[in-house]
Amino acid sequence: MRSFLRLGAILVGLSLAATIPAKAEDPIRIGVLLPMTGPLAKNGIENWEAMQIARDMINERGGINGRKIEYLQGDANTPNAAISETERLISKDGIKITTGSFASPIAIAVSQAAERHNVFHWETTGAAEIITRRGFKYTFQVGAPARKYGQAAVDFIVNDLAKRLGKPVDGLKIALLWENRAFGKSVGDGIRAYTQSKNIKLAYDEGYDQTATDMTPIVQKLKDTGPDILIAISFPNDAILFQRKAKELDFNVAAFIGVSAGYSSPDLRDSIGDSVNGIFVADFPPKVNETALKPETKKVAEEFYKRYEAKMKRPPAGHASAGFSAIWALYTEVFPKAKTFEPDELRDIALKLDLPDGSLVNGSGIKFTNFDWPDDAKDAGQNLRASIGVWQWTKTGNEEVYPPELATKPPAMVPLPDWSKR
Amino acid sequence: MSTILQLVVSGVLIGSVYALMSIGLTLIFGVLRIVNFAHGEFLMIAMYGAWAISHWLGLNPYAAAIAVVPAMFLFGAIAYRLVVSPGLDKPHLVVVFATMALSIFLQNAALMLMTADLRDVPPIFARSISVGSVYIKGELLLGFAITLACTIGLQWMIKRTYLGKAIRATVQDGEAAMLMGIAVPKIFLITFAVGSAMVGLAACVMLPLFSVFPTVGLNFVLIAFVIVVLGGMGSIEGALLGGICVGVVQSLSGYYVAPAFGQLFFFLLFLLVMIFRPNGLLGQKGAAMLGMNE
Repeated sequence: MRSFLRLGAILVGLSLAATIPAKAEDPIRIGVLLPMTGPLAKNGIENWEAMQIARDMINERGGINGRKIEYLQGDANTPNAAISETERLISKDGIKITTGSFASPIAIAVSQAAERHNVFHWETTGAAEIITRRGFKYTFQVGAPARKYGQAAVDFIVNDLAKRLGKPVDGLKIALLWENRAFGKSVGDGIRAYTQSKNIKLAYDEGYDQTATDMTPIVQKLKDTGPDILIAISFPNDAILFQRKAKELDFNVAAFIGVSAGYSSPDLRDSIGDSVNGIFVADFPPKVNETALKPETKKVAEEFYKRYEAKMKRPPAGHASAGFSAIWALYTEVFPKAKTFEPDELRDIALKLDLPDGSLVNGSGIKFTNFDWPDDAKDAGQNLRASIGVWQWTKTGNEEVYPPELATKPPAMVPLPDWSKR
Repeated sequence: MSTILQLVVSGVLIGSVYALMSIGLTLIFGVLRIVNFAHGEFLMIAMYGAWAISHWLGLNPYAAAIAVVPAMFLFGAIAYRLVVSPGLDKPHLVVVFATMALSIFLQNAALMLMTADLRDVPPIFARSISVGSVYIKGELLLGFAITLACTIGLQWMIKRTYLGKAIRATVQDGEAAMLMGIAVPKIFLITFAVGSAMVGLAACVMLPLFSVFPTVGLNFVLIAFVIVVLGGMGSIEGALLGGICVGVVQSLSGYYVAPAFGQLFFFLLFLLVMIFRPNGLLGQKGAAMLGMNE
């Protein structure tokens, strides 16, 4: 009886499927994998807001050749959940295009699951180098690779800060502190390699666990080293703990450069108040000098910032702008050229993209590697024109300060006042 | 020299705060012989409570303890009735899974209600106190004093009051205690609630030091477990000693070896203590086995 019922159900299902042919006005369905719960949710939700704004803007403009964009969400709060949620969207909902995913460990997991099913993955902000270095065919990373973050910080020191501090670059004591998971390690490795190539010696170079509850040993050791400039890669909670401990132990530097993540989190001001002013952040630019953008991009940018601020009551952080920029490029540069929306077709279109700097809202252009990168023959799908720079926390919000062509203001508060004067 | 002094002082102070947060866990373990896996989430909830009071009513987080401690006592009593006590007469794993489920439930409830935002209170003392070349954070010093007072107070309660005597009797032999007219289920309830209230106090001490977010408990619960086992399960002064050990080891190894190995070293210490003193530093003999063979 039961098998008979099951057969009946299958038959009904088949006949239903047969009567609904795919129509031109069917929505384009995209799987959005972001951490919506758990420790990464804060940034995941911000990215989700940016993606929703992009979807609304494109749908209000009539969609893509009349087809609306529709999102199916997966809660990728850990790498394991990212894999199972991606699998679920692919096998249960028949998704052929995925995007996301804010954090590197999540991006690594999502792209792996997508690639296994030959699904097209458009990564917006994941940064670890490994994402595009596994020889994958369908993974495209629009954001900058991890090494670029660190390079921006070092270039800023070499080309700008050294002059402002009145010291030659080789007379500066530079310290590097990194959290030892995928992102921090990847950025730290990049900075080390880049400083070596420029013959700059690091006075301090150490990793730490981001769940650390006591920063005393780290801050004390830094204090004993006495660097002029500290480059730190942290997540929000440890960034706050570090800043508080630095104040407690009266550890001062002439310039403090945080790299993305913790130091770019809008929470930082809520937690440490005005001590945040003057801190530099090497990151995706939250907002760039308008003259750097193409005229039509400028209009899109204005609309995005207006909608985001209306919704969230504050300007977007760098990765929210980057998330919007990347997904907007998918809708306006890739999709309009597609007919079948099959991963192979999308891949061909993506690889042919050649957009100059300033094409995307955050100042990026697009040109993907295609197994032709001299560093690593397996690298494919990494955007070589992702914008990256340095911005600074100011009394009123943030200003892009480096590179000069993207900058909205010159750097201020150099050298950084001692804690006793802040 | 000033470096090592700074590291030890900071280690002792932060260790005492870890100890305060572990006392509730060790108390509950010592009497009920169960491990509350939701301990970290109790801390998280209490921290949110203290944050809400100081954020919306503008009260000092230490003053918030007046409300948070009784509230956590009540919360502990309710959690005990709903989640723990139904599993007490069943195999040990039932309580393990029940408290784990409670932990996951509380984390996600907090995420829904409070979002993943980090919440903080402004510092209580504007500057740290400097003694020679050593800097001491006022909040940590206060935490140390509160921990000492609590340890002494709880010891006194257990040694000198009728309730303490009843608790000790329950620990020694639950059945005999019941025959002597001690309401063992009530003792369990009170102990669980007192343990939770202690977490409430710890939360008020920790709020000026740490941000609160839904998964904050995960950062501390492992430390608490290590402290409880290190000090001797069920031993309150052992928790203080264990906490200080963990704080100092973390601080010194973080400086002299590498910060990334800070946890490795206190687990190493943990393993050594387990090998040479399986009942912990101050634990009673056979503590781990007590109540297991009933």
